[in-house]
Amino acid sequence: MEPEPRKSSTRRLTIVAQDPSVTINNRILTTQVEVPAEFLARGPCGSRVHVIDYDSSTGTLYEPFAYPVNPEGALEDPFSRPNKRTVMTNPGFHAQNVYAIVMRTLGRFEYALGRRVSWGIPGHQLKVAPHAFADANAFYSREDECLAFGYFPGEKDMVFTCLSHDVIAHETCHALIDGLRHHFMTPSSPDQAAFHEGFSDIVALLSVFALRDVVHALLDRPTGAEAGLAQSPEGLIKRSSVTMEALKHSVLLGLAEQMGQELSAVRGRALRQSALLSPAGSYMKDPAYMEPHRRGEILVAAMLNAFIRVLSERLRGLGSVSENYLNRGRVAEEAADCAAYLLTMSIRALDYVPPVHLDFRDFLSALLTADHEIRPDDSRYQYRDSLRQSFDRFGITPGAASYAGVPTPDGLWNRFDDTGFNYDCVHFEDLGRDRDEMFRFVWEHRERLALAPDAYTEIVSLRRCHRIAPDDGFPLRETVAECRQRVQLTAAELQPLYGIEKPPDMPASLQLTLHGGTTLIFDEFGRVKFSISNSILNRERQADHLRYLWKYGYFDKGASLRQRFSRIHLRRSMDLAKDIEEEW
Amino acid sequence: MKPCDTPANRPDTAPRPSKTTVRSYQVGFGDCFLLSVHYDDNPDIGTRHILIDCGSTAMPKYKPVRSLRDVADNIRSVTGGKLHGVVATHRHKDHIGGFAGAAGDIIMALQPEVVVQPWTEDPTAQVDARAPVPASRKGLHAATLMNMQKVADCALQEVRSRKGAIASGVRDQIEFIGDDNLSNKDAVENLAAMANGNNHYVHYGMTSGLEEVLPGVTIHVLGPPSLEQSDQVLSQRSRDADEFWHFQAAAGRSAASQKRLFPKADICSTRQKGRLPIETRWFLPRLDRIRGEQLLQIVRSLDHAMNNTSLILLFEVGRRKFLFAGDAQIENWEYCLKTASDRQSVLRLLEDVDFYKVGHHGSLNATPKTLWNLFRKRNKTDSPERMSTVVSTMGGKHGSDSRGTEVPRRKLTDALKEETDYLTTQTLRGKDAFFHQQEFDAWV
Repeated sequence: MEPEPRKSSTRRLTIVAQDPSVTINNRILTTQVEVPAEFLARGPCGSRVHVIDYDSSTGTLYEPFAYPVNPEGALEDPFSRPNKRTVMTNPGFHAQNVYAIVMRTLGRFEYALGRRVSWGIPGHQLKVAPHAFADANAFYSREDECLAFGYFPGEKDMVFTCLSHDVIAHETCHALIDGLRHHFMTPSSPDQAAFHEGFSDIVALLSVFALRDVVHALLDRPTGAEAGLAQSPEGLIKRSSVTMEALKHSVLLGLAEQMGQELSAVRGRALRQSALLSPAGSYMKDPAYMEPHRRGEILVAAMLNAFIRVLSERLRGLGSVSENYLNRGRVAEEAADCAAYLLTMSIRALDYVPPVHLDFRDFLSALLTADHEIRPDDSRYQYRDSLRQSFDRFGITPGAASYAGVPTPDGLWNRFDDTGFNYDCVHFEDLGRDRDEMFRFVWEHRERLALAPDAYTEIVSLRRCHRIAPDDGFPLRETVAECRQRVQLTAAELQPLYGIEKPPDMPASLQLTLHGGTTLIFDEFGRVKFSISNSILNRERQADHLRYLWKYGYFDKGASLRQRFSRIHLRRSMDLAKDIEEEW
Repeated sequence: MKPCDTPANRPDTAPRPSKTTVRSYQVGFGDCFLLSVHYDDNPDIGTRHILIDCGSTAMPKYKPVRSLRDVADNIRSVTGGKLHGVVATHRHKDHIGGFAGAAGDIIMALQPEVVVQPWTEDPTAQVDARAPVPASRKGLHAATLMNMQKVADCALQEVRSRKGAIASGVRDQIEFIGDDNLSNKDAVENLAAMANGNNHYVHYGMTSGLEEVLPGVTIHVLGPPSLEQSDQVLSQRSRDADEFWHFQAAAGRSAASQKRLFPKADICSTRQKGRLPIETRWFLPRLDRIRGEQLLQIVRSLDHAMNNTSLILLFEVGRRKFLFAGDAQIENWEYCLKTASDRQSVLRLLEDVDFYKVGHHGSLNATPKTLWNLFRKRNKTDSPERMSTVVSTMGGKHGSDSRGTEVPRRKLTDALKEETDYLTTQTLRGKDAFFHQQEFDAWV
C-alpha cells in the first residue's frame, strides 16, 4: 500500500464516548477524536501502537483490520455514527477504538509535556490486544510490551473492556508513567504503590470529562430516586443543577454510576468509591487505606473535589439564558475545558516529581510548581489554590513544606540556589541532549545536589521540553534530567555508613539496595531551577522505606512484574485487603 | 459468644471425659483427623469418635501406596465400626473427598450421629448461581461459592483444551488447585445423608451440635462468621467481590466453550495455514503465557476465598483445649480475633491451647501472628506443659520457595519446631504408619 498523501497532521476517528452502557435514545454514545494522521498498516499498526487481535482463551487470531482508502488515497473512518450492532460485533471497530484512545491518551501526554513521550517498554510500538482473554480484567505488562483487554458475558451483552474509554486510558497511563518514571513500579512505600493506580484513574476520568459530548449528555441526568423527575428544556440546564453540591452529585457520582455498572467487575467501582469519599485527614494513616488501589482512591478523590470546586466557580460566572437557566452547551464546554486543564496540569507534574520513592506530598508540590512555572498568575480560576485546599482536606500537605528545609509559600518546590555553581566548562547545548555531559555537570556538583558521594550514579533520562504558556503565548523551554543513585550494603552497615535506623527484627547480614535520586530542572539558559530530591542521605525517609518494605515482606518474596497490574486489579475486584503483618 | 457450659461450672454429676486421643492420618496433601474422647469413669459412654475431615488431592507416592479407602478402613478398625460425629470444615476436595466413593461408603457405614459443617453449606441457602441477583444476601454468598467452583471447572477445561499454549509447570499448578476446588457433589450428598438429617450448619458463636455425642465436652465455634457478622468488617466492596465471581464464572464458561467470540469475523489466513504471521510471532506466545499465569492467579484466589469458609472449632475436654482450624485464613480469623464484641473471652480461651491443628497445611497466612502470639504454652524448652502442633501436608505441591509462598511455609514450621511439640504427617512412612497418635489426659 502506498503511503497516503498528508493533508492534515491529524485525522478524526470514531470511538465509544465512555462505554456501551452510556446510551442516548437507545443509541450507544459515540464521538470522534483527533489522532495523528500517520500511515497505518494492517492491525491497525502505527508508529506507536500495534493492535494484534489474538484471543488467548480460544487461540483465535483474527484477521488484522485494514483501513479503506478513499479515491484521493487517504484513510477513511469507516465507522462514523456506528449502530449498536457494529459497536458490539465488529472486531474492526474494537481495533479502531483501542487504537484511537491509546493514541489520544499518548497525545495528551505529549501535548502537556511538550515533547515525544516514550512507553515504559524497550520498543516503540506498544502491542494492544483488544480481546486478549475471557476474563474480567485488563492490564499493562511491561515485560510483554502490551496492553491486554479482557471480555466477559454481562447480563445482556458481552462486556468488552476494550470498549471502555476510562479502562483504556487507565491502562495506557500505566505504560506512560512507566516510561517517564521507570522506578515507580518498584516497591517503595504505600504512596508509590498507590500512585500508579490513582494517577491512572485521574487521567482516565479527566480524559472522559474532557469529552464535551459526554458531559453534555450526562450533566444533569437524574439518577437513583430522581430518575423520574422532569429534565430541563432542550439546550438548557437549571442553575441549581450546577452548584458545587449538585455537580458533585451529578457529574461525579452520576457519571461514576454510569461508568460502573458491569465494568465494576473489572474496576471494583473505584470511581464510585472515590466520588463518595468525604474529605477527612485520617485516610492517609488508616490501615484500610494501605492497599494500593484503595490508597489511590484518596488521590483521585482529592483531585476530583478540586475539579468540582473550580468548575462550580467557573459556572457561577456564566450568564443566564433565561431565568434560572444556563446554556447547556456552554456549561459542557466549561466542564470539558476545566477537565482538560487539570489533566494537562497533572501530566506536567510528572516532570517535577523525584525519580524514586514518590509520595503524594511530592506529587502535590510537583503539581503546583509545574503549573506555576508556565502560568504564574493563578487568580483567574484558582486551580492551584483549589488543589491545595482539596488535598489538604484529604490529609495531603505539600512535600515542599514538610521536609525540604524551609517551608515554601504556596506549597511550591524551593527554587534552587545555584550560587557558586561552576557553569564555565558546561556546554549548554550538549547539556540537554548528552547524558555524559549532564553526568559531568552532576558529578562536579554532587555535594550541593545532596547526592551520596560513594553511590553508583547514573543519568537515566534527559528530556527537553517546549511548552507554550497559556497566558502570554511565549514558549517555556526546560530540560529535565533524572539522576538515580543506588548503594548495596548489608543491614548492619545502615547505621554506621548512612545513619539509617535498621528495622528492629531485620537480620544484620541481609543484603540491601538503597535507592535515591534527584530530578533536575534546567531553564533555557542551562541553569538549575529545581533539584527535586529523595536522597540516599535522607536518613528519615530511607528508614521509613526500609520499615515499609521489611514489614510487607519485599525482601523475601519475588514477584513478577508481568503480573503486577493484573494482580493489583484482581485484588481490587475481589476486595482482598491483605494483612501482611499476620503472615509468615 | 454466649456463656458456655464450661468444665469449670458444670455440675459434678455430668459425665467426665478422662482422656483424649488425636490421630493425624497420612493423607498426603489433605486433612484427616480422628478425635477420640474417652470416658473411663463411664463405661456406658465408653469412647466417642469424631472424624474431622477426610480428603486428599495428592496421596503419597511411596510404598505401600495407599488410597483414602485404606484410610477409611483403618478408621473403621480403630473406632470399632462406629463414628459418633463427623466434621467437614469446608468443601475442598482435600478435606471432604474421602466422604465420596469407596471411602465414603465405609464412613457412611460407620453411621455417624451428627454432621457439622459451616453455614455456607446449608442446602437452604443454595440457589441458582446463574441468576443475576439472588434474592437474599445468604443466597448471594452461596451463589458466589458455586460461581467459584464453576470458575475452577472452566479454568481446568481451558488449560486442557489449550494444552500446548500454557507452560506445563503453570498447567500442573492450575490443575492441582483447580481440581481441589471442583464441586464435590457426591461427597456433599453423602454428608447430607449420613446422619439421617442431623446436620448442623454453624457459624461463630453457635452451638456446634457435637455436644449431644460428646457429653461433658465444650465446643466453641470460632469461625466462620455469618454474613451479618462479616458485615461488621466488610463494606460495599464485598458485594463487588460477589459480582466479580458472578462475571468471572460467565467469562469462564465462555472460555471453556472454546467458541469464537466473533464467529462471523475473518480468521487470520496465515494462521489457518498453520503458521503465525511474522509480526505476531514474538507476541502471541507471550499472551498465551500471560493467560496461563492469569488462570493460576484466579484459581489461587478462589482457593483462598473458599478456605475462608472453614469451620474453626475449639474443643475443651477437661482442662485441655484442642484447636482445629481447617484451612481458615486471616480473613476468617479476623472476626473472632479482632471484631467480635465478645472477642476478649475468645482471646482468653485461646491462650492455653494444648493442641493446634496447623491451619491450611502450614501456609503463610493461615496461622495469624495474632493467634500465635496468644498461645502461652509455647516454650523453647521441652516441658510437660508445652503445646502440641500437627501439620498435615505435602511439600512441593502448593506455592513456591522463590516467592515465599511455599506450603508448608518454612518460617512457620521453624517456629513450630522451636516452640512446640511439632509433628508433621510427612514423616509417616511405612506399612504401619497410618497416623500419628497423641494422648492427652483430660485433668492433668
